[in-house]
Amino acid sequence: MSFSRLEDRRLVTGAGRYVSDWHLPGQLYAAFLRADRAHARIVSMDVSQAQAMPEVHAVLTAEDTQRAGFRSLPCAAPIPGKGGAELIKPYRPVLAAEVVRFVGECVACVVAQTEEAAQNAVEAIVIEYDDLPVVIGAEAAIAPGAAQLHPNIPGNLAIEFETGDAQAVAAAFAKSAHIVRLDLHNQRVAGNPMEPKGCLVRHDAGTGDYFVHVCTQGTAGMRGQLVATTGIADEHVHVVAEDVGGGFGLRFNAYPEYSAVMLAARITGRPVRWVASRSEVFLSDEHARGVSSRGELALDAQGQFLAFRFDFLNDMGAYIAPTGPVVAVLSIRACLAGVYKVPAAVANVRLALTNSVPMAAYRGAGRPVISYMIERLVDQAAVELAIDPADLRRRNLIPAHAMPWPTANGLAYDSGDFPAVLEHALEVADWTGFEQRRTQSAAHGRLRGIGLASFVEATGGGAGPDEVEARFGGHGEITLFAVSHSHGQSHETAYAEILSAVLGLPRERFRLRNGDPAVRLAGNATGGSRTLHGVGSALRVLADDVIAKGRELAARALEVAAADIVFADGRYHIAGTDRSVTLDSLIEQHSGGAVHPLDTRSSARTGGTFPNGCHVAEVEIDPTTGVVEIVRFSAVDDAGTILNHTIVAGQMHGGITQGAGQVLGEHAICDRQSGQLLTGSFMDYPMPRAIMIHGLTLAEHPVPTPTNVLGAKGVGEAGVTGSLPALMNAILAALRTAGVTHFDMPATPARIWGAIEAARAGDARRFAYDRAQ
Amino acid sequence: MYEFSYVKPASLDEAAQLLANHDDAKPLSGGMTLIPTLKQRLAQPSHLIDIAALTELRGIEVTAGQLIIGAATRHIEVATSMTVRTALPALAALASTIGDPQVRNRGTLGGSVANNDPNADYPAAVLALGATVHTQRRAIAADDFFQGVFTTAIEEGELITRIAFPLPTRAAYAKFPHPASGFAMTGVFVAETGGRVRVAVTGAGPGVFRWREAEAALADRFAAESIEALVVDPSGLNADIHAPAEYRANLMKVLASRALRAILNSSEGAVA
Amino acid sequence: MSKVALTVNGKPVEVEVEHRTLLSTVLREALGLTGTHIGCDTSQCGACTVHLDGRVVKSCTVLAVQVQGQSVKTIEGLAPSFDASGARLHPVQQAFSECHALQCGFCTPGMIMAVTGLLQDHPQPDDQQIIHGLEGNLCRCTGYVNIIKAVKQAAQMMQA
Repeated sequence: MSFSRLEDRRLVTGAGRYVSDWHLPGQLYAAFLRADRAHARIVSMDVSQAQAMPEVHAVLTAEDTQRAGFRSLPCAAPIPGKGGAELIKPYRPVLAAEVVRFVGECVACVVAQTEEAAQNAVEAIVIEYDDLPVVIGAEAAIAPGAAQLHPNIPGNLAIEFETGDAQAVAAAFAKSAHIVRLDLHNQRVAGNPMEPKGCLVRHDAGTGDYFVHVCTQGTAGMRGQLVATTGIADEHVHVVAEDVGGGFGLRFNAYPEYSAVMLAARITGRPVRWVASRSEVFLSDEHARGVSSRGELALDAQGQFLAFRFDFLNDMGAYIAPTGPVVAVLSIRACLAGVYKVPAAVANVRLALTNSVPMAAYRGAGRPVISYMIERLVDQAAVELAIDPADLRRRNLIPAHAMPWPTANGLAYDSGDFPAVLEHALEVADWTGFEQRRTQSAAHGRLRGIGLASFVEATGGGAGPDEVEARFGGHGEITLFAVSHSHGQSHETAYAEILSAVLGLPRERFRLRNGDPAVRLAGNATGGSRTLHGVGSALRVLADDVIAKGRELAARALEVAAADIVFADGRYHIAGTDRSVTLDSLIEQHSGGAVHPLDTRSSARTGGTFPNGCHVAEVEIDPTTGVVEIVRFSAVDDAGTILNHTIVAGQMHGGITQGAGQVLGEHAICDRQSGQLLTGSFMDYPMPRAIMIHGLTLAEHPVPTPTNVLGAKGVGEAGVTGSLPALMNAILAALRTAGVTHFDMPATPARIWGAIEAARAGDARRFAYDRAQ
Repeated sequence: MYEFSYVKPASLDEAAQLLANHDDAKPLSGGMTLIPTLKQRLAQPSHLIDIAALTELRGIEVTAGQLIIGAATRHIEVATSMTVRTALPALAALASTIGDPQVRNRGTLGGSVANNDPNADYPAAVLALGATVHTQRRAIAADDFFQGVFTTAIEEGELITRIAFPLPTRAAYAKFPHPASGFAMTGVFVAETGGRVRVAVTGAGPGVFRWREAEAALADRFAAESIEALVVDPSGLNADIHAPAEYRANLMKVLASRALRAILNSSEGAVA
Repeated sequence: MSKVALTVNGKPVEVEVEHRTLLSTVLREALGLTGTHIGCDTSQCGACTVHLDGRVVKSCTVLAVQVQGQSVKTIEGLAPSFDASGARLHPVQQAFSECHALQCGFCTPGMIMAVTGLLQDHPQPDDQQIIHGLEGNLCRCTGYVNIIKAVKQAAQMMQA
C-alpha cells in the first residue's frame, strides 16, 4: 500500500486552514508600531494624529495595557540556579512603556478598518526617543561597564546555573595526562517557520469570553501564558487552532502581539486580526542558539575520558522568553556527558540579557549546543592525540550492558546501544573507504573531509500528564482530542494508526480535533520531540480503556459475563465459541446520543527518554571559492520502536537539513553598534533550498525504551542534534588538509575561503571575519 | 503599499506622455523589483505606467550582425528563444540564471537594465558586449549608460525600447549567486567581439564595471592562465556581512577563469 | 478602483479592486481561495505561486490590475475533477502525498504549482533541472528530499 497521511488531502488541495485563512464578520485589522532602535528611552509619543485618521478605530499604547491590568509576560527558571539562586525576571510589557530594548519591540497597536489604513496610522504616530548604549552579544553584556538593560538585573546576568560535580572534575583534571580545550560559538539563528505568526481574536462582551485563533504548538500552554499576561480568567480564554505552518519551538510561547490584539478586540467590540509580514517575523519571532562556549576534556594516557568541563554563556536577548531558560539549561543537564562513560562532568550556564530579540526554543532546543560542543571537543582530542576519531569514541562509549546508565550529574539513560550504533553508522558511511574518495576529490582540486558525531538526545517527559479524549457518537466517525498540536509532525496520522492497530478499526475513521476550545484537556504542547511517547502512550491507554468499556457492552449484547469475552482484531468473542460482536457494531448501535458509552478520557504520564545516534558527514570544499558541498550524509538513529517509518524518515530529513542550514550560513546578525538586524529578510538570510544534501542515507537502529508503553523515543530533533557537529567535524577535517586548525560556524563560502587563505599566508588574523553578533 | 494609479497606455508615445505629465509616475515592466519595493513602502509613485505589453518594446531579431531584443522581453523568452540561443548563447544562458522560474516568467530585460541593480546579471552582458541601449529619444553606448549603483544615463520620462547586442565571436558569463537572494555576489561576462576583448564585472563593485586589466591580459593571450596571473586590488570593491572585498576580488578571478574555460572548452559560449 | 475581469480555475470572474491590490489578495480575500499562501514580503518563498496564462508566477508580486483578461490557475483548480468529497488528485498532488513530500503543508500549494510548471518545461527532469526549477520555493520542514522524490514520481505518473 502506498503511503499517505490523513492530513494530506486537505493540505495538497489548498483546503488547509492556517491562521491567516480565518476571517470573522466585522473584523478589523491590527498593525504594530515597532521600535526602530535597539535601546532607547521613550521621551514622548503622540498618537493623536493616528487616532484621528479615517478608518482608525483604536490606537493602543502601554497606558491602555496598564489600565487593563496587563502584567509582564511570564518567565521562569526550570531548576534553581547556582547556590539556590533564583532567576531575576526582567519585566516584559506587552507594549513598551518607558524603554525599548530591541529593534522590533512592540510600542503601539493600531486597529483600523483595513490593513493599509492601520499601516498608515502606524506611520502617523510621532515618537521621540533618547538613545541608550546598545549591548549586542553575551560577552559584551557581561563585560564590566556594559550598559544595563533592566534596573533589577545587575551586570545583565539573570541567573547562573551549575550542573555536575565541579570538585570531582577538578580532581580528574589534576591527574589527567592530556587536557583538550576548545572555544566555540553557536550562532544566533532565526527559525522561520513558513507560516508567519498571527492571530484573530473575537471577544464576546456578554460572556466575557475571548476566542483566540492563533498559531500554536499546544493550546493549553498558550492559554496559560495569555492568562498570565492579561490577567483574564482562564475560563474566559479559548485558544483555537487548526493547521499550523511549522513551529520548531517558535510557536510555543504567547507573543506580546496576541495579548495586545485581545485587548483591541475588547476595546473595539469587533474581531481583530493581525498577521505578521515576514519582515516582522524576522524582527519579532524568538531567535535561537546564540551561545558562546568553552569546553575542556581531560584524558588519561590511554585516551580514556576522565572529565568534561563546560562553560555556556547564553545570549537571551532583551527579555527572558518562557522557554528560554528551559532550553539554556535543561538540555545541557540532560546530555552533559553525551554518549561517554566519563566519571565526572560539570557545566556552568549563564543567561545574559542583550539588546536583541529574545531567545527561545528552536529545533533541538539546547541539545545541538551541547552535542556540538562535545563532539567538536572529542574530534579535537582525536587530532591532538593522533587517534582515529572513531577509535577514540569506541574507547569511551557507554557499553550497552551498562544500561540504564547513571550519568555523571545524577540522571539515568534508560536504554541504548551506543557502540553498535557507531559501528552501524561507520558501515553505512563506508568510513574505511574514505581515503580513496579523498584521493578522487583531490584529483579535481577539492578538499574532502569526513566527520562523525555520536550523540544522545533527551526527549521530554513533559511538565505533567497528557490527556486524550475520544468520542464515538459521530456515526462511524471517532473524534479525538489532545493538547499537543501538530505543525507538521503528522499527529492525525500517528494517533489514528496507534488506535487503529489496537481497536481494529480503519484509521480513516478517526478525526483529530486538536485546537478545539470546547474540550479542555491537560497536556503538554508539541515540543521536546515528546508527542509520540507522551500522547501516543495516552492513546494506547485510551485504547485499552475503550476495549474494557466495549467488553461490558459486548457482554450485554452477547448475554454472557464480561470475563468470558476476549477482544481481537476489532471483535469481541465469547472464548471457545464462534459467537462474537464487532466493536464497530457496538459503536454504531449506541450512536446518536449526546454521550456515547464508549466515550473515554485517558491520560498517561511518561518519563523522558534518550534517543541517540551516530551521524557521518562527508563534504567537498572548492578551495577557490570556499563553497562546501555535502556529498554524503549517513545517519543511524535509535529512536526506539518506530511506528511509521516514512514519517520518521521525514523528520530526520528535515532536522538534518536545518542543521545543515545553520552550518552553511544561517545567521541572524545584529549590528554591534546599532543593534539593527542585518539579515532581516530572505534576501539576506540564506534558507536551505533544494538540494542541500547529496547522498543522504538513513538507517534505523532501534532499542525500545522501557519508559513508555510504545517503546518509542522522540525523533523530531535528532537530525539537527547530530548534523551540526557531524558536518562541522567533516568541514574542519577537510580544512585541516589545507592547514586550517580552527574553524567555527557558519561555514559560508567567504569564511571558508578566508580561513584557507589565512592558513596559506600563515596568519590566522588575516581575513579574520567577525563571527559573533 | 501606498496608493497609486495604474495606467496601461496603448502606445509608447502615450506611455512617454503619461510619464511626462506626472512627476511621480514610474514605468512598470515586469515589476520584479518595483512591486516588492512598493510593498515595503520604500517608494510612493503617483502613477504606475504599465509598459509590459507595448508592441514597440517586444521582439527578438538578428539584423546586420546585431541581436536586437525589445525592452519588455521577459527573461524566460531570452533564455529559451532559438534566435538568442543560436546567435548569442551566452546571453540565453545568463537569462536562465536570473532569479528563479517565477521571476524569469515576469521580469524583463529593459526593467533589469534600467534599474541597474549592482548585483544584477544583465548589465554585465550589456557592458561586456558593448551593446547599445535604445530609448525613444536616442541610442546610448553601454560604456556611457551605467553610472553607478541604481544610476544610469536614462533621463526623466525616457524609456528603454530595445537593446542591440553586437554578436561576439565568443563569450561566456560566470556567476556566483548569493546564497540567499540568488543575485550575483559576483558575475563576470567575457566577450570577444570584432577581435576586441571586453570583460564586465557585476556584483563585486559599486555598479557594473569593465575590468581593464583582464581585458589587456586577454588581448595578449586569450586563456584562463592570463587571468590567474593577475593581482586584483580589493580596495573599492564591496564589503558587507556576506563577504569582505578580498573575497569578491578572488571571485572575479575565479569566475573570469571559469568563463574562459567554458569558452575554450566548448564550441559555444556557456554559463560556467 | 477598477474592475478587473479574469478567469480563475476556468471560471470567469470580475472583481473590483484598488490599483495597489495584489493578485494574491484578490485570490485569498475576494475569491476565498486561501490555498495560495503568503510566506514572505520579498518575493522569495514562493508559497503564493500560481499559474498565470500557463506560466508560474508569484501572485504576491503581481498587481490584480495587471492580469486583466488573463487566466489564473490556483491549487484549488489543479485537480482535473476535484470535489470536496474526495475525487481524483492531480498526479503532482498525489505524488506529494505518497512520497511524504509535505509536513506542515504551508509551502505545499506553491510548491505543487511550481512543480507542475517545472514538469511542463521538463517532463523528465534530472536533479539539476529540479534544483533549478525549485529555486523560487522555500520549504522549512522536509529538507526537500521527499519533494525531489515526488517530482520524479509525478513525472513518471504523468508519462504513463
